[in-house]
Amino acid sequence: MRLNILIGGKAGQGINKISEIVSDVLVNYGYFIFNYRDYPSLIRGGHNFNVLSVSDKKVGSHESKLDGIIAMDKKTIRLHKAELKKQGFVVDFKKFEKDNLGRNLNITLAGCLIKILGIDKNVLIDRIKKEFDNPEAISAAERGLNSEEEKFGLRKLASKINILSGSQAISLGAINSQMNIFIAYPMTPATGVLHELAGRQKKYKFKVFQPENEITVVNAGLGASFAGSKTMIGTSGGGFDLMTEGLSLQGQTEVPLVVYLASRPGPGTGVPTYTSQGDLDIALRGGHGEFPRIVVAPGDPIEAIEKTNEAFYLSEKFGSLSVILSDKHLAESEFSSDKKPNKIIPVKIDRKIPGQSIVKANSYEHDEFGNTTEDAGLTKKGANRRIKKYEEIKKDVRKFEMIKIHGKKDSENLIIGWGSTKGAILDAIEGLDFKFLQVLYMKPISDEIKKEIKKSKKVILVENNVTGQLGRLIREKSGIKIENRILKYDSRPFRSDELKKEILKIK
Amino acid sequence: MIDKLSTKNIITWCPGCPNFMILASVKKVFAKLIDSGLNQKDIAMVTGIGCHAKIFDYLNVSGFYGLHGRVIPTCLGIKLGNPNLKVVGFAGDGDTYAEGMAHFIHAGRYNADMTLVVHDNQSFSLTTGQPTPTTQLGYKSKASPLGNFSCPINPIKLALASGVSFIARTNARDISHTSQILRAAIKHKGFSFVEIIQDCLIFNKDMNAKDKLMYEVKENRDKKTAEKLADEWNYNDKKGKIPIGILYRVEKPTLNENMRKNDEEK
Repeated sequence: MRLNILIGGKAGQGINKISEIVSDVLVNYGYFIFNYRDYPSLIRGGHNFNVLSVSDKKVGSHESKLDGIIAMDKKTIRLHKAELKKQGFVVDFKKFEKDNLGRNLNITLAGCLIKILGIDKNVLIDRIKKEFDNPEAISAAERGLNSEEEKFGLRKLASKINILSGSQAISLGAINSQMNIFIAYPMTPATGVLHELAGRQKKYKFKVFQPENEITVVNAGLGASFAGSKTMIGTSGGGFDLMTEGLSLQGQTEVPLVVYLASRPGPGTGVPTYTSQGDLDIALRGGHGEFPRIVVAPGDPIEAIEKTNEAFYLSEKFGSLSVILSDKHLAESEFSSDKKPNKIIPVKIDRKIPGQSIVKANSYEHDEFGNTTEDAGLTKKGANRRIKKYEEIKKDVRKFEMIKIHGKKDSENLIIGWGSTKGAILDAIEGLDFKFLQVLYMKPISDEIKKEIKKSKKVILVENNVTGQLGRLIREKSGIKIENRILKYDSRPFRSDELKKEILKIK
Repeated sequence: MIDKLSTKNIITWCPGCPNFMILASVKKVFAKLIDSGLNQKDIAMVTGIGCHAKIFDYLNVSGFYGLHGRVIPTCLGIKLGNPNLKVVGFAGDGDTYAEGMAHFIHAGRYNADMTLVVHDNQSFSLTTGQPTPTTQLGYKSKASPLGNFSCPINPIKLALASGVSFIARTNARDISHTSQILRAAIKHKGFSFVEIIQDCLIFNKDMNAKDKLMYEVKENRDKKTAEKLADEWNYNDKKGKIPIGILYRVEKPTLNENMRKNDEEK
């Protein structure tokens, strides 16, 4: 069983509240959800929509054909009617025009949807009471519940499920690592983590600071870390560009730093509120000079919690740069899971810090005390130390999941992908003779990838970018060129039904 | 004490450079602060990139030899990372007013408890004498053979406009006065800015030897008077008078105080 319901309206009307309430009710009822959020770069008006995918099994994507439309304005129906299945339903806001519902229209529409799904009305009423302490909200919900016919008859299931967005998960990973300071300048789609952490700073006793630009973010981040605080900074592609001088400074000073990079389509300002996997190259290479780094790319919120914790651990252990690579689709979509993340890895500060000893960090090549040198021998020694450190990182990361194999493990047909495409790929290959190799560590990268490719007859690369950046990385590391590529670069994420068709087209 | 603040590194400033005198003033201040109870390990210095920044290698205190233009952000981060540290940044005029100008303006707004010392010789000297934002109009260099096309900014006026809570100017050659002002700056609660006027013996020599224009003022706390004092020298020529001393000072809550206050109120 899988349903896709589109909820649309103008920015500011409250479509997110509908999907939030309905999602909460559904997971309490034992169903899995995935909520895709589509919105342009404006604050009031325009056309926003969510596609809520509902299933009795795990689901990590949305589909192109709709089972229903919940419309808060005319435009929603006009723009999406063609995507509706033959038996699909439409709940039109017009039906309630005379009810004077005001801001409670979204609660009424949530009520309509719950009734259509066939869920016990009290589950919704309890959920509404939890958030709104007023009788109008309850009667608005009842107005919706009483105005529709049951259509799907969902029965309560036993699964225990939680909802998380990618942004929430990155924040939890940082909190689990006992982060002391988060510094960021607002930029979509990285801002979600700024908001999450700012809201939790008091409870978990860490600092959140928003300075004048990303150049300050990265330099202050290194200053804070040098002073003995576990520090994360966050941004999207354009801000990451500004930060690259500081990434290079990290390489020379070896002061630990964790960078959260949530990408969106570029170049330039690009398509700010949509998605892309176009920034793998800069995550791997941003910053001048040669120095080690770690780049992790979680594919869902549970992995985001785990990989953020690993990024902190490795950064502190090796005095290295850890980049956590995400994108709009992972950061802002809402995912459901019945899994718990791995046990937290403790992150300890085990290095000299000012206040306790005299310690120097230096952007110049330097001697063992941190004093400047231009000596050829010491320069070479510094470079060798950094390269050796990378060899140690390569050994140490083997204890973490650098890749995952999903699907039919003995299949000779292999799909390779990374990051936010995970959900759509898993849903697309459901029931097919395929296995899916998900790459989680982009740097260092696993040697297993080459072996898996060699074992397979058919290999397909799936990426949400123009040039197949993971494909290029694999070719660089293994000498193997993956000929079959499914690349999507219209700034929208893959929808699982469409991806399945693309996969089946490849002979 | 002074010995404990020294390192064995070979000093590579030009012979006779006023940076030697600034180093002497800084050592004198740090020694005094340590004598009166400050733990040497609680000092954290930050330097930019330029001749001034070599001071990093000559002082035996913790520090971060940062990037060109980024002294202020690095100081800010250290102060956020450990509010107990005494954070002192050393920067150049090119460093602060060209590459790092945005940070200078915002430093006044944040008022983090830290000190910025700008070694202003009106020249990019380590890169062989190009004009900086405080270089006079018409200055000829390899980068400006037709003469510098732009007028200098006045950092004191800019600091006043940016809400900096401690603004001072000193003469590098006057070690006694400079160390006295630096000590007051470090003790000031909030962002303190000390501009040290210094000669460069190699580049932009036309602007050297302004000592006779300089005169000491008493600590001033009046904004109008501060504006007048700031206007007395335009950085563009050697006319007028150059007031030195604490040109303006005001008490304001610091960044960490505001953060703590918000924390309590929530």
